[in-house]
Amino acid sequence: MKKVLLLLSVFLLVGCMDDDIISPIDDIVEVPASLQIEDVQGLKVESTIVSDEVRMNIKLPYTGTYRVKIRDISKNLVSQEKLDANEGDNILKVYVSSLENNGYTLELTDDNHDIIGITSIVVNN
Amino acid sequence: MKKILLLLVSVLCTLNVFGQTDAKLDYSAVNTVTKVGDTLIVKLQYFEGKDANNTAIEPTLYQFDFQYNNKLLNKISTTWQPSSTSAQKAINSWNGYKFSIDSQKNQTDFDGQYVSWLSGDASYGSDSDWSVERVTYQDTDALEDGQEFVKYEFIIKDKANTNYSNYDDILNANWANYKKSDNTQVGATGQSTLASLGSIEGGDAGNVTLNILTNIIDDNIGDGTHFTYNIYNKSDIGSGNQPNEGASIVASGTYDASGQAVVTGLENDVEYFVWNWADGSKDYMDNVVTVSDLALVFAEAIGAGSTPNGTSTTFDYYIQTFIANIFHDEAFDGNIDFQDSYEILAYLQGVTSNNTTYITYKDRAVQTGGNESTFGTIDSNGSYFAGIDATFKPTDSNKSFNFVHALMGDVNFSHSWEPDTEGTAIPASTQTNASAARMSMAAGSKFSGTAEEANLDLTSELKNGLVEFTIGSEVEEMIGAQFNIIYDKTRLVLDNVIFDTGNTMTNFSNHIEEDGKINIGSFDQNFEATVKTGTPYKLIFVPIVQLQNTSGLITFKVNEGVKADGTQIKFIME
Repeated sequence: MKKVLLLLSVFLLVGCMDDDIISPIDDIVEVPASLQIEDVQGLKVESTIVSDEVRMNIKLPYTGTYRVKIRDISKNLVSQEKLDANEGDNILKVYVSSLENNGYTLELTDDNHDIIGITSIVVNN
Repeated sequence: MKKILLLLVSVLCTLNVFGQTDAKLDYSAVNTVTKVGDTLIVKLQYFEGKDANNTAIEPTLYQFDFQYNNKLLNKISTTWQPSSTSAQKAINSWNGYKFSIDSQKNQTDFDGQYVSWLSGDASYGSDSDWSVERVTYQDTDALEDGQEFVKYEFIIKDKANTNYSNYDDILNANWANYKKSDNTQVGATGQSTLASLGSIEGGDAGNVTLNILTNIIDDNIGDGTHFTYNIYNKSDIGSGNQPNEGASIVASGTYDASGQAVVTGLENDVEYFVWNWADGSKDYMDNVVTVSDLALVFAEAIGAGSTPNGTSTTFDYYIQTFIANIFHDEAFDGNIDFQDSYEILAYLQGVTSNNTTYITYKDRAVQTGGNESTFGTIDSNGSYFAGIDATFKPTDSNKSFNFVHALMGDVNFSHSWEPDTEGTAIPASTQTNASAARMSMAAGSKFSGTAEEANLDLTSELKNGLVEFTIGSEVEEMIGAQFNIIYDKTRLVLDNVIFDTGNTMTNFSNHIEEDGKINIGSFDQNFEATVKTGTPYKLIFVPIVQLQNTSGLITFKVNEGVKADGTQIKFIME
């Protein structure tokens, strides 16, 4: 009987806890091993050679507005996304169907164009 | 007195000795040959010698060897010339031998070399380039002075791929064995070699190098493999540099990445014409004609056209008139007028014209070009065709040729070759401004010419379930702007284009849905109004798949602006 009461008490305690403490399950980003970044910030793609699309992780020091830029071999900007993202890991995608097969650099900057992370990709559509 | 007599006797004896003359073995070309494949006829001839009494020496045996270069000559026939029926005659031939003379004797001491050959001081060694002929003629009577022994016919061979650079030393006598009936050796001499045949034209030109020059390669828009060549005989090229009906292509192929091709199968000293073709299916063909070209053509049209001598023109180069004349009747008229500029504007707006125009775009690359040294020049009659001549002639001394390539409508040479040789630029003194509007235009602007830099912000963003692509600009004094945008048509559908460029600008958008392309821009044909700063252009797309973000969904190729004075604006995008 004691055991039953103890178990009930635990359920009651858990049930009275603040939602904020237990709800972040939805906000927790599951970062696959291939996209994990050890530093506090950075940029990582799942695969350097890309067809159609690839997952990327942008790991940020704080929540805010950032830019993801794609540059060609001459460092000319050929595509740019502006996005609001959260502190920590953000698993997003890079779409490459509209890019010609070539080598590019992928840049993560803050809204003032200061570089946070940079990597290279090869488009092979 | 004794001494005087002795001296006299000596002199007389000497005179007697020097009075003897050797017989001659003479050989010379009967005809003139000028090109590979011609038949060379060589006659071998006897000239009698004289003894000390100035009496003709009368040999009855005539035998001699000569050799010829079998890499340059192909023996095809021999014909005896003496008519005697009693004579014994023989011709022997050996391939792969060359005579090494007795260096202690003159080469032209033919009887001496014969003796040396018998003794082994002169000999035949193996040499695959040379063939030896031995001619033997014996009769009861001596030949007459000047009698020809035999005529040889040879075909002139191509010296390409041989170790020989000329036809200077191709045949020479080795020795001669003339004997009298009492078996006395008769002195014999002659020239050292057959006279040079001089310049022989034609023949396999070997490796001929073609180079294609264009900003497509120089600016890494594409590479040389996007270019092919078709080579015709010049005689098969008709008016407008077009191949005549039924003309055959002599050689064709593709340039390498650097824009170079090594062509074989051509002949020396033959005139050819090459048509160089860019691959019109490349996407960048849609970026060839832009608002910068439009501005140049409009400026020229405002001046009521140009003339070949440069009077009243804003262009820098004569060839710009040819390239800008995208609308004309069947014959090129060389008049740049509003029809040309409005056709370009219509093209940029995506409006289908009822007229046939010569604007380059994807799958319709209208191409021209010529030799680098003459491209863009005009002749004394003002004809532009003089400057688009791609004729070339390989010779022994010249086997490398530079050709340039240009695309019609590409007035600012963004995807073409900008002339850089003398006679291609219009003198500044003749670039007369002709109207008030034109007064504000600089004398032409060029793709690689002076450009001003300005910041611009092109971004895509996911907003309220839609993808917005905005072009933010703080650039002032911009009378024209263009942006060629490519979007991922498998994920996005274009919903709206929003212009906020000002009230008087002519805006254009050309949506090529099947390619996922949209070209947008603005232009003020009066060169007065400017594109409003802020967010002059915005594109709204509806996603057709679930999206979390937009990276890479929208890319941009051409981003250019032009100021009222013709200066190109080079956008900087951080």
